[in-house]
Amino acid sequence: MRRSLPLALILLFPSGAAALTVAEDQEVDFASEIRPLLSDRCFICHGPDQEARESDLRLDIRSGAIADLGGKSAIVPGNPAESVLLARLRHPKARRRMPPPHSKLTLDESEIALLERWILEGAEYEEHWAFRAPVRPQLPEVKDQAWVNDDLDRFVLARLESEGLAPSPPADRQTWLRRVSFDLCGLPPTPDELDDFLGDESPDARERAVDRLLSSKRHGERLASDWLDAARYADSYGYQNDRERRVWPWRDWVVKAFNEGLAWDEFVTWQLAGDLLPEAKREQRLATAFNRLHRQTNEGGSVEEEYRVEYVADRVHTFGTAFLGLTMECARCHDHKYDSITQEEYYGLFAFFDDIDESGLYSHFTSAVPTPTLWLPDVEQERRLLELDQGRAEAQNSHQEALRGIDADFETWTERSAASLAPAEGISFDFDTQTESKVQGRGGNGGQGQLGSGAQLGDGRGGKVLELTGEDNASFAGNGEFSRDDPFTIALWLKTPGYKERAVVFHRSRAWTDAGSRGYQLLIEEGRLSASLIHFWPGNAIRVRALEPLPIDQWVHVAMTYDGSSTARGLELWIDSRRLPVEVIRDRLTRTIHGGGQISLTIGQRFRDRGFTGGQVDDFFIFDKRLSGIEIFQASLPTSTTFRESGDSARAWLATQENARELLREYFERSVSPTLYSSREELLAARRAYSGLVDQIPEIMAMEAMAEPRKAHFLDRGAYTSPRHEVLPGTPTSVLAFPQSAPSDRLGLARWLTDDRNPLFARVSVNRYWQLLFGSGLVATPENFGSQGDTPEYPELLDYLAVEFRDNGWSVKSLLRRLVLSSTYGQSSSATRELLEQDPHNRLLARGPRRQLSAEMIRDNALFVGDLLVEKLGGPPVKPYQPAGLWQEKSGMVYAADQGEGLWRRSLYSFWKRTSPPPSMMIFDASKRDVCVVQRQRTSSPLQALALWNDPQQVEAARGLAQRVLLESGPEASESDRLARLFRWCTSRSARSEELEVLTELLNTARESFSLPEAELDAWLSVGEAVPAPQLDRVELAALAVVANTMLGFDSTLTLR
Amino acid sequence: MIPSKQLPFDPSRRSFCSGLASGLGLAGLSPYMHGAQGIPADLGGLHHAPRAKRIVYLFQSGGPSQLDLFDYKPLLNKRNGEELPDSIRRGQRLTGMSGYQASLPLAGSQFEFAQHGQSGAWVSSLLPETAKIADKLCFIRSMHTDAINHDPAVTLFMTGFQTAGRPSAGAWIDFGLGSLNQDLPGFCVLVSKNKGGQPLYARLWGAGFLPASHQGVQLRAGKDPVLYLKDPEGLPPELREQSILALERLHQLELERDGDPALRARIEQGALAHRMQTSVPEVCDLSDEPEETFQLYGEDARDPGSYAANALLARRLLERDVRCIQLFHKGWDQHGSLPNALGLQCRETDRASAALVIDLERRGLLDDTLVVWGGEFGRTNYSQGPLTESNYGRDHHPRCFTVWMAGAGVRPGYTHGATDEFGYNIVSDPVHVHDLNATLLHLMGVDHERLTHKYQGRHFRLTDVHGRVVEELLV
Repeated sequence: MRRSLPLALILLFPSGAAALTVAEDQEVDFASEIRPLLSDRCFICHGPDQEARESDLRLDIRSGAIADLGGKSAIVPGNPAESVLLARLRHPKARRRMPPPHSKLTLDESEIALLERWILEGAEYEEHWAFRAPVRPQLPEVKDQAWVNDDLDRFVLARLESEGLAPSPPADRQTWLRRVSFDLCGLPPTPDELDDFLGDESPDARERAVDRLLSSKRHGERLASDWLDAARYADSYGYQNDRERRVWPWRDWVVKAFNEGLAWDEFVTWQLAGDLLPEAKREQRLATAFNRLHRQTNEGGSVEEEYRVEYVADRVHTFGTAFLGLTMECARCHDHKYDSITQEEYYGLFAFFDDIDESGLYSHFTSAVPTPTLWLPDVEQERRLLELDQGRAEAQNSHQEALRGIDADFETWTERSAASLAPAEGISFDFDTQTESKVQGRGGNGGQGQLGSGAQLGDGRGGKVLELTGEDNASFAGNGEFSRDDPFTIALWLKTPGYKERAVVFHRSRAWTDAGSRGYQLLIEEGRLSASLIHFWPGNAIRVRALEPLPIDQWVHVAMTYDGSSTARGLELWIDSRRLPVEVIRDRLTRTIHGGGQISLTIGQRFRDRGFTGGQVDDFFIFDKRLSGIEIFQASLPTSTTFRESGDSARAWLATQENARELLREYFERSVSPTLYSSREELLAARRAYSGLVDQIPEIMAMEAMAEPRKAHFLDRGAYTSPRHEVLPGTPTSVLAFPQSAPSDRLGLARWLTDDRNPLFARVSVNRYWQLLFGSGLVATPENFGSQGDTPEYPELLDYLAVEFRDNGWSVKSLLRRLVLSSTYGQSSSATRELLEQDPHNRLLARGPRRQLSAEMIRDNALFVGDLLVEKLGGPPVKPYQPAGLWQEKSGMVYAADQGEGLWRRSLYSFWKRTSPPPSMMIFDASKRDVCVVQRQRTSSPLQALALWNDPQQVEAARGLAQRVLLESGPEASESDRLARLFRWCTSRSARSEELEVLTELLNTARESFSLPEAELDAWLSVGEAVPAPQLDRVELAALAVVANTMLGFDSTLTLR
Repeated sequence: MIPSKQLPFDPSRRSFCSGLASGLGLAGLSPYMHGAQGIPADLGGLHHAPRAKRIVYLFQSGGPSQLDLFDYKPLLNKRNGEELPDSIRRGQRLTGMSGYQASLPLAGSQFEFAQHGQSGAWVSSLLPETAKIADKLCFIRSMHTDAINHDPAVTLFMTGFQTAGRPSAGAWIDFGLGSLNQDLPGFCVLVSKNKGGQPLYARLWGAGFLPASHQGVQLRAGKDPVLYLKDPEGLPPELREQSILALERLHQLELERDGDPALRARIEQGALAHRMQTSVPEVCDLSDEPEETFQLYGEDARDPGSYAANALLARRLLERDVRCIQLFHKGWDQHGSLPNALGLQCRETDRASAALVIDLERRGLLDDTLVVWGGEFGRTNYSQGPLTESNYGRDHHPRCFTVWMAGAGVRPGYTHGATDEFGYNIVSDPVHVHDLNATLLHLMGVDHERLTHKYQGRHFRLTDVHGRVVEELLV
């Protein structure tokens, strides 16, 4: 029987043979076997929809299914023979058989047998609460009306009253203010704020305190700090050598959005689909970086598609965990085991997030931001960008105009001088003379070409030709260093020994995927020529590919020409001086094609790419202009051809060409007309000016849907190598059908998510905010609302808050405001022994929340009370103190701590390196940010004690606190006054006399110790970069710092009561 | 009505586990306490009596070349330079590093192989010290894995899954079995210093979704072997003592007043932290080791942070009943210049690896200590890059490689599994990463299918849904 099997075994078996073997012994499972069947074949007429219900029979609830309908019931639990359902399903007469013929639905005998077994076993239903949309519950009646401060309190009080429990008394006011200050702003109240509040006897004192906190900029930082876990935010890519990436502008947007009170549904919609909003603003596009924050790899040799699929999957999983509280991971390889999410539906969600032009690898050799990207110019850059773009457009127009105005010039030229047809001047390598491993170039500053690693010259074409093995190359340093604005032409003779799936003919780039293919290249792909200019493949590049195959096993003359326009239209491919029809593969090049280190124009081979194995090359020409067909023909002539012979040959060749006049016109336009020459030069200058600015504009990874959506596929067993049928975007129907009116893209997905009828989103959201304040959610598994998740103790309260949140315009601030002003939140967190035993985890909420401060709060609090905190909103991540060597021992990178203010910023801004996160955060249970996490572990370990005592950040802050106390209290203050102040800074409460006694004793011991001649006062006072105030008595400061250091490790400092 | 239930936790799970995992409003229990409390004294393991109380895993990161160390393939020398036959490759995917190479020339090892000991195990001349203890070792020549790149492959070995997010094996062991000692962390990590090569990641000894207290504690060479262990500069030790005492008194007062059990945990953690301030430097200080120790482990062992010093430190930790020790030595990634670079790796590790086994044995610790040596994958039988008379490289190869084990419950002098003549495919007794992990857990008294943790609604385990205890490896 099922229950006797090891639980893990059942749960972990993937579907398939293994599962089937146990199935016979198991009870029929309603959720996975019966409900889908009933739903699919029966609910259409016998389901929740009253309008559509036939014969008053509903099968979606048990009471309906077993209801007596005139002496008979569809289902009689335990009695298949009496169950009319089965009789009708098996009815011999087709017109009486269910489902009726017009429905086009059928059940086969195995399915009916399954139903039969289920009925025999008792026909138990399980209804999963979380998949039903929340409805506003009745407010419960309570006896003690006075306790109710917010309607939410009624739910708690009613339950407590029914359990015979009383709520705990209110927390004292200072405790409450401390609690709410940390919860809303992540920092404690100052003694002044405490005094103000304690002295404020007006009835709305709490409201005003809360409003003050909610309007503080610190509030956004506090909420952002929580959201970064869900968003798996990090300042590094995460895999392998884990390089830095610049995504902090997204983090700053999050802080701003929280501070400005952006409605939660919009906050989420922007992040999911800001790019798809009508006339999307930059800020809305920036928000979509959320979907790109997953880890990315640049590990050499990785299979690009494997990781691209991994990234899309991560987006799906994050979407599931953060917004739906569902674990999508399960459905990647097979149908979800617990929740009705099919594998098909998984790939439906996958299809939404598979819509950007990205690579599975980021560039190892360049610092390209993985595409798609969003530009983030500053104000000045934006102004100049507009200006230079306009300049570029004007130059383009002038050039077009000039083109249109040269008819007369052309005619004149044709009559007078066309006869000469001078060939273009370029640099050429004919491979006929070799000196050691060099070949000699001609023309310009051609210099020499280098034959790399054993490349050979062989006989052919009346002299020597370059023979390639795929591993060796010929390279031409200093040649062909074209930018994306420079027109150029590269021509050569080549012979390919056979069909090539892929072969590098020539390129100027550091590497293939390891450099995002940065540079330009001519390849053979699937037997056809392919020319590209690339900033980062595939999202920032132009590529055209010939429609016709490259002739095999014969010498052909090949040329690639480019006009400097950064458009695919400006790229041309030629075979034997004939322009080839091409297809455009990519047409978006917006940034430099330079970079990647020391690179040379190279023939025949590229780092970790497929070389031109068995290929032969001859007469390699490089021109710094775009040639016309006539000139390309001339470049195909033997290099020994004189100018005059070249002109003669061209004329003879032209005479054989049908389009001779067009060829002449092209020649004139590209190489003769002085008018066009100068308009081209102007255009070049304008383009260069624009490009120069563009390359300085910071970018960030963002979402941008491809114009032509990529086809997403069902991946068998989740394997990227096993794509099956195409899958269209779609959502799990068990949650909510996709609205017909919604677009079939991420924006539609966001609409579906935030739809009033979506049962999960509002619940999952309020639950996480409840957790933020109470330490644990109403559903204790915030990441899983599925059937394996926690069942809430207060389901109606959850629904009430969900509905209210939604109906109040998804205002996070309003939600938090009412939660913290509730009596439930305001209770004392002290528990009697009985209550602790009865309800150790405070599920009943008969007391207030209590928990250790988060990692960020612990550090921020120390900086704050130590008068060191530099409160500055946003900006690049900072590097505070960290023990030496942590990065180096893992990846060889060196962590250089900041100097000055970077040491003392809020922890939200600390540089997050995924493979070596800040230890002061990890020791205190921060999540690692590898994947989406919506609940942190809470542990206690000796490492925490050690960090509190000895981390220079803590020691320096302790000294700062001692200094603050000494300065505030003045030289005349008594010892106990100082200790009391210090205590209050740390705990927001007054020290009890026995506590003061302990501290006084410690202070005296410390003072004595530091008064000794051998005391290392200097060392103790110079931990950290902050400089102690010179006017203070050094012994006193040192001694009080010991007390402060002790207090920073004190439970009342660290625990939010 | 929505059904409600009393407790969110499955009471059938080991209660200390769920208590630790949830800690709602409470600080979790001490990982160093629950070992003493959680394991029934008569069992010693979690599910059955363990063969091994402790484990030390000598992880050779980068992928040591089995073909130049253990898996002797004379055919490769005979057919040196010939193309890898498709009939042998059989569609194996290659990395992008050699996958686009024009040819894949077979490369015979340049190192002498010989059979050693009674058992006649093949070991190359690169590992003379390991060769001498061949009869104590159990070689698995038929290891295989799913990944071909470092990051996923190391992550698979250490966490049972190729992508990040799951607990490391050490964390699982610490979670399941708890600590054996009162003064040191239950799971220690030692990383050789100053090694280039493929990076390591904190997640390899992380706790994933298990409570963070189960993550490995790295002991580092230098003044501060554990992060923040050392008192701040200028703070007199007796003053720290007083400060800790004062803190404990404050916590006692608070505990008496409030009764919060988290306070008790905090007091205990403070006390352990304080003990660690003595116990950790003491264990890391090798100055009390006799001269003879350094003869055994090699002179390198005097250099803190070297592999040899870490191997010695591992022995000292094992003596003090640290349950799980994970060493990492980077630099085994010989894509090119293999003969030179591999030689260096071996010189750094061979003597100390063997010394650790010998040392444990003579101290009587090998009976209940498991030693494992291995990397994340093997290397190809063909040369990556040009094959010359004196030089070659090898790319990553997941289909077969060699790992050795020794000690508690492991069959000594035994070689398990075999590869084909080309050293490319396994021909008998394949052992997957999950099988190895299942076997290690088995030896520790843990049923790999039953050590689970519920997260995101699923019961996760180290071996995912796979793994088989390889009985043949056991005595």
